[in-house]
Amino acid sequence: MERPVFQAPGTPIEELDTPALVVDLDVMDRNIATVHACFSRSNAKIRPHAGRHQCPQIAHRQLRAGATAGGIGVTTVGEAEVFSEAGFGNILVANQVVTRAKIRRLCALAGSTEITVAVDDPLNVASLSGAATASGTTLGVLVELDVGLGRCGVAPGGAALTLARTVSSSPGLRFDGLLAIPPVALSSPESGAGTNTLDHSRLEGEAKSHLQQVVDSRELLEKEGLDVATVCVGGTHNYETAADFTGITELLAGSYPLMDHNLGRWRPELKPAARILASIISRPNGESAVLDAGHKATGPDRGLAVLDGVAGAKATRFSAEHGVLDLAGEVAQQLKPGDKAWLVPFDLGLCLNQYDYIRAAKGAKLEGFWAIAGRGQFG
Amino acid sequence: MNQGYRPIAGTPVEELDTPCLILDMDALDHNMDVMAGYYAGRDSKLRPHSKNHKTPALAHRQIRRGGTVGGVCAAKVSEAEVMVHGGIPSVFITSEVVAPIKIDRLCSLAAQAELLVACDDAENARNLSQAAAARGVDLGVVIELETGLRRCGVQDISQGVALAQTVQSLPGLTFRGIMSHQVIPALPEREDRVTEGYRVIQGVIDLKDAIMDAGIPVEIVSTGETWSYDVAGEIPGVTEIQGGSYLVMETGYSYMPDFQYSGKVLTTIISAPRPGVAVGDAGQKTISTLRALPEVEGRPGVSVASMDPDHVIFHLEDGARLSTGDQVTLIPSQQDATVSRWDRFIGVRNGKVEAVWDIQARGCHN
Repeated sequence: MERPVFQAPGTPIEELDTPALVVDLDVMDRNIATVHACFSRSNAKIRPHAGRHQCPQIAHRQLRAGATAGGIGVTTVGEAEVFSEAGFGNILVANQVVTRAKIRRLCALAGSTEITVAVDDPLNVASLSGAATASGTTLGVLVELDVGLGRCGVAPGGAALTLARTVSSSPGLRFDGLLAIPPVALSSPESGAGTNTLDHSRLEGEAKSHLQQVVDSRELLEKEGLDVATVCVGGTHNYETAADFTGITELLAGSYPLMDHNLGRWRPELKPAARILASIISRPNGESAVLDAGHKATGPDRGLAVLDGVAGAKATRFSAEHGVLDLAGEVAQQLKPGDKAWLVPFDLGLCLNQYDYIRAAKGAKLEGFWAIAGRGQFG
Repeated sequence: MNQGYRPIAGTPVEELDTPCLILDMDALDHNMDVMAGYYAGRDSKLRPHSKNHKTPALAHRQIRRGGTVGGVCAAKVSEAEVMVHGGIPSVFITSEVVAPIKIDRLCSLAAQAELLVACDDAENARNLSQAAAARGVDLGVVIELETGLRRCGVQDISQGVALAQTVQSLPGLTFRGIMSHQVIPALPEREDRVTEGYRVIQGVIDLKDAIMDAGIPVEIVSTGETWSYDVAGEIPGVTEIQGGSYLVMETGYSYMPDFQYSGKVLTTIISAPRPGVAVGDAGQKTISTLRALPEVEGRPGVSVASMDPDHVIFHLEDGARLSTGDQVTLIPSQQDATVSRWDRFIGVRNGKVEAVWDIQARGCHN
């Protein structure tokens, strides 16, 4: 568990004990307004993916911003439990839930919360149906399609139709529609880090081809007499494309309020709201400075954090507990132990996974400590 | 706080809810025995690094098993707090502590246990001195020497001697000794590790001699880690070795068969969507993948193809099978960066849960 010094609201941000995960609420609110405005003009709605930030306060803010599906998404049963306790009445577990113990927990939650879950396997459908019937609850079910991510999901078309029919005829289950998590090209460090120019027309073309596969499956299912109320697709990267795409009803997106360096390269109109405040603890020589934030404080597995706003300095190396800045230029060379520096995480989810609290800030002053309540709910 | 999953003792491994971080207790005991055996009867001792396990219960086990100085290392002030509050009598913070708010925390701890801290800067030493003197506590200072890691540390012998003289002259501080960190070289042959160990550790020995020549006693020479535990341990003048990785182990240290893998992540297959592919419920939030993907234990023909934050995707060769609900054991490539993502260890022996320990210092970055 993080052991922060709970400094008082109003404390200047640069006086926070470091490393500190700081969220600029003004930046976050602008990001939320930008994305939700796009959906207020659309038939499709936003379903905030709370699994990306794990913070109930942020998810409540997203729902209050309007143009939403009225509920949130999460990845695990444990996260669903945390967010149900935090007052969310409609939760999509956008993942497969297969073990007996977890299915029981899901059914227990469904007694008080509207729960929808993804499936890609008829045996799993039978287990969910049996458990829901036994506990006298109903689970909403989305059939997950694999449109190119290569993870979970059945193939679009005939396989989706077969599984949708199985769900429709299973007691205790309500067939709600389709879910697809499209791949985000350039999400891996090998293909992405350092690339700042992206071919947006090619990326938009790819995003459309992913969504088209989902909408084609919807048409097939409807032609065969199934009612497809929900067509939910994932992603912040493609939000404008999804909002305008006929046949999509929900965008499951979680990164847009806080953003990260990776998605920022796709979506420059959305700014990084979550950054790590670090301190220089050593100036061993003229060319480098050492920060108190390393791998454990940044979550580097998909790419390294990027230094923000120190002219002539670059974060070049990280180890478990330290980050090393290479310095050039007169300003940077005046940095001394105790000075602060900001890092933008490469991947939001992996960074927040390392903390228990967000330091919410407004106008460079501390607003308060917000619990990352869903952190660590891996199962 | 994540109150999460806590299985009762005796639960069979195959019934554990996943993903979970397990500790093979036999392997853990073996690893501690290797260290206890090596350092028994030597002048040098191990000061286990607690940043690797972040768990007071494991620190106590390491100390009880033998071969240690009777205390631990910690990377951060908040980590040291967890160790001191957990009853560890001596903690060495192997990094510079600079911010006034942290120096104050350090002084509070020094009133409760023996506290040592690394230093590479005279201004920092004066700040430590001022706070310690004001609080009426004593901080032990260990000067860090840069020896090839290109991180913190004084850059040469003369800087080190000058800083030792400064520290010695300041109230509230006791100059205790010197330390160095090394690049972990991944040398499979012990002979090469010996050569490299002697080469990189010579720097602190030279600094020790120079400080003693200046008339200042050097009680502690702290250096080495898991890769050089049996090299640093035999270099005359070295008093403490900062080893941590050996306890939980990782595939990154596969070239050191002296130690066994004790830390592993259990995952359950949640989808087997296509022939040759299966998806498990442990993602990058649960395992470090920065250096390499984890290895699969005991399932021939099954390997990790890729991971995302919430999933692991397995590649199955012809003939290998994984079905939904199957449990798979993963061995991480990097232990401390994996442990730091979890709230508890589940200790397992003979296929059953033996103990559950909270990883109390997880998230202690401050």
